[in-house]
Amino acid sequence: MAQILLRNITRASNSTLLTTSRIGPSPLTIPAVAAANSLSQQLHTTSPCCEIRKLARLRVVDNSDLGKRAMAEGRPPRCIHVYNKRGVGLIGDKVLVAIKGQMKKGILVGLKQKQRLKQPQFDSNNLVLIDDNGSPLGTRIHVPIPTVLRTILKEKTLSKGADYTKVLAIASRYV
Amino acid sequence: MNVNARFLTNRIAQQCAYKRIVTFSTKPTEQSAAAAVPQQQQQQQHDAVAPPVRKPIVPAHYRFVYPEFLPDPKVEWRNSIREKLERLDMLNRRRQIELPEFYVGSILAVTSSDPHAAGKTSRFVGICIHRERCGLRARFILRNVIDHQGIEIVYELYDPTIQKVEVLRLEKRLDDSLFYLRDALPEFSTFDEHMEAETLEEGTPVPINELKVVLRPRPWLERWERQNLRGVANIDQYLKDKHRKSSEKVQKPWEKYDLMKQYRATIPEEEQKEIFAEVHTELHTLELQRKRNKRKRTFVKPKHLA
Amino acid sequence: MLRTVICDLARLRLSGSTASSAAVVVTQVREKGHLSRPRLRNPYWFIRPQRSQTDDLVTGENRSFIKEVIHDTYGVPALIKGVQTYEQRQLIKTPQASATEDAQPWTPNVRRCGLIARKIGQYPLWLKNGERVRTTLLQVVDNHVVKYIPPEEYRPAQQPDVKHLHRYGCLVVGAESTNPALLTKEYCGLFKDSGVMPTKNLARFIVSPQAALAPGTPLNVGHFRVGDFVDVRGKTVDHGFQGVVKRHGFKGMPASHGVTKTHRRPGNIGGGGEKGRVWPGTKMPGHMGNRWRIIKGLRIWRVNTKYNVMWVQGSSVPGSTNGLVYIYDTILPLRRPQLAPPFPTLYDNDAEEQLPEDIWHEQVHNFNEESITYKPE
Repeated sequence: MAQILLRNITRASNSTLLTTSRIGPSPLTIPAVAAANSLSQQLHTTSPCCEIRKLARLRVVDNSDLGKRAMAEGRPPRCIHVYNKRGVGLIGDKVLVAIKGQMKKGILVGLKQKQRLKQPQFDSNNLVLIDDNGSPLGTRIHVPIPTVLRTILKEKTLSKGADYTKVLAIASRYV
Repeated sequence: MNVNARFLTNRIAQQCAYKRIVTFSTKPTEQSAAAAVPQQQQQQQHDAVAPPVRKPIVPAHYRFVYPEFLPDPKVEWRNSIREKLERLDMLNRRRQIELPEFYVGSILAVTSSDPHAAGKTSRFVGICIHRERCGLRARFILRNVIDHQGIEIVYELYDPTIQKVEVLRLEKRLDDSLFYLRDALPEFSTFDEHMEAETLEEGTPVPINELKVVLRPRPWLERWERQNLRGVANIDQYLKDKHRKSSEKVQKPWEKYDLMKQYRATIPEEEQKEIFAEVHTELHTLELQRKRNKRKRTFVKPKHLA
Repeated sequence: MLRTVICDLARLRLSGSTASSAAVVVTQVREKGHLSRPRLRNPYWFIRPQRSQTDDLVTGENRSFIKEVIHDTYGVPALIKGVQTYEQRQLIKTPQASATEDAQPWTPNVRRCGLIARKIGQYPLWLKNGERVRTTLLQVVDNHVVKYIPPEEYRPAQQPDVKHLHRYGCLVVGAESTNPALLTKEYCGLFKDSGVMPTKNLARFIVSPQAALAPGTPLNVGHFRVGDFVDVRGKTVDHGFQGVVKRHGFKGMPASHGVTKTHRRPGNIGGGGEKGRVWPGTKMPGHMGNRWRIIKGLRIWRVNTKYNVMWVQGSSVPGSTNGLVYIYDTILPLRRPQLAPPFPTLYDNDAEEQLPEDIWHEQVHNFNEESITYKPE
């Protein structure tokens, strides 16, 4: 519940965000109702876009420090580029995200949009942060990831040169 | 066989005033099942009077147990030979694998071969939130929350890569589809992966779980207030007057009197009887065989453990 | 004297005038355009089939007598509940048939006869690797050869170019036999020589003379093999006059933001300046569907010989469910058969053993087999 409200608050414009973050160490301290009332004009209440394109909000699911802090503050990363020709990210695609004022790369490991038969569809758009060589920033992924990723990432490792299979190594379970 | 079945159904149809049953609905089950019992009795009575042609009497609940055997009711897409071939293929598949009776709201475990998985198989446990389509295209959606992450998978019932379908808990819910679980609190769609299968006693009707789920606050994925859901507990709490007004506006209370709409959306009862008369014996023998095998397996089990 | 002079003058004048008119006056031929389009001449079998139905006042006895006569002339109906009643070996053999039978073998460039079928629906099949393919079911409906017109006699509506003149003959094939009492006399006369019961549908197939078939030969799904590629021709679903959004998939214009009255209109249809006109081929509203279309290179995944049904790849066969389609050998060069198909068609003498009821492509998963599993690496 609190998390959802937090997410709502983060959808406010930049200026209000700055003020809220300045006021308290964490936006949790703001009474939720008051926040909703005062920010009702600026709240972004549409459901997040199912397609991963530019400015789509994502959820970091690994335990990297950066990702954890960003999610805890309620400022989830935004996709600012998708590294494929279509501009819409599919599972296993590499994206560039803006996270806590930095640009980081990540791999999509779970999508909200309709998937193929027998492939899982998640309730959130999940992301694992990686560095430029393809090795993940965190050491563990705390949600299940689809088994198709094994095949997709292995293929990409062969074609793109970077080693993406390290992401598979830190996965806790497959579904 | 066909001619006889048609003869029988015609006579029954004359007696009971042409009733149509929605194929994928659990709602009118009780009424229609209740209505079906006197029909059967009538049929039996009639058989006693009629020339002694004994036909296997198709149980009335078959249209709910095997809804995918009923074709798409859209008239432009019907073709008797295609439907027959499709039914033969479905029966052939059912000879290879046990596809048990289940409903929206039942908890299933599906084991399917997966070329990407490490052991080349993957198993998924979840609640069936939706069943749709007919024939070989029949499919269902399973939902579960694993590690606080909601996951849904769409399976096709007759997909040959499916190795096993187990029903862990056979029950129905109050609604025809449970998409609102996506907006409910996660505990309502969380199920243990190592759940033991619960057995129902034979002959008992499928229980209806009266559980009402608690929704999260808005934003929601759909406008649930417009769908007249019975399985939601706290929807009033999140509604404002404008929501109530707009949901009232889109209601179509006259549709239940629209006989033509109902006619177009369903397969007539006579045709249903015809279809099930064709596949009934085969399905029944398969059911019996499965039961026998199961009993055998339960005897073997302690030995196996020891 | 004077009179003769006047007469001569008049004659002279007359002749002079005729000469001058022949030189100057040209008869106008307005119909003649820049295209030398051949006059369309319908083939001779384009006759009104249905008789105008009047109340004949035929008594019940007479009606049953008519039925009896039809039964005596043509035998049992060819299809009962979708299953054909005749065996393929009961081919009606006319003397011409035996003459052509010891004819040439199949060569890659020869054109075979096609089939008339009905599109009866679609459902998925699975390959052995677990992949799902969508298939369309085509039922070959009681096809019989009605007539063969050899190349010398065949005059198509449009004369082909000189190189191909008199190279191909024509086979008239009928499908779905029906009660002759409902048809006109002229239409029934088409079937007189073949011994075939009058059919609802007729089609012509352009064939090489080697692939000629004797009238009365039944054609069934064994004409094609599993794994072959076929072209399917049909008439697409009629949508009527449609706008550009439905007809060409245009996006339309926004619903709001000051847009008035142009939500589903095409917008601009051309530029100015030198190109200041509507270019030919511009996508515009118009009639959608109800056109003949051929979809090429569909693989046959499975065949059912009992119901004469074939499963072809894809779900985009033109036409609605229960609509007529025509099946041909594919013309795509890379998908043409390498090995000889049944030529000129499948005779029962050719097939040593009876064909099984269901024939599956080797890649397709048979529903009678066990579930698909993958071997661990």
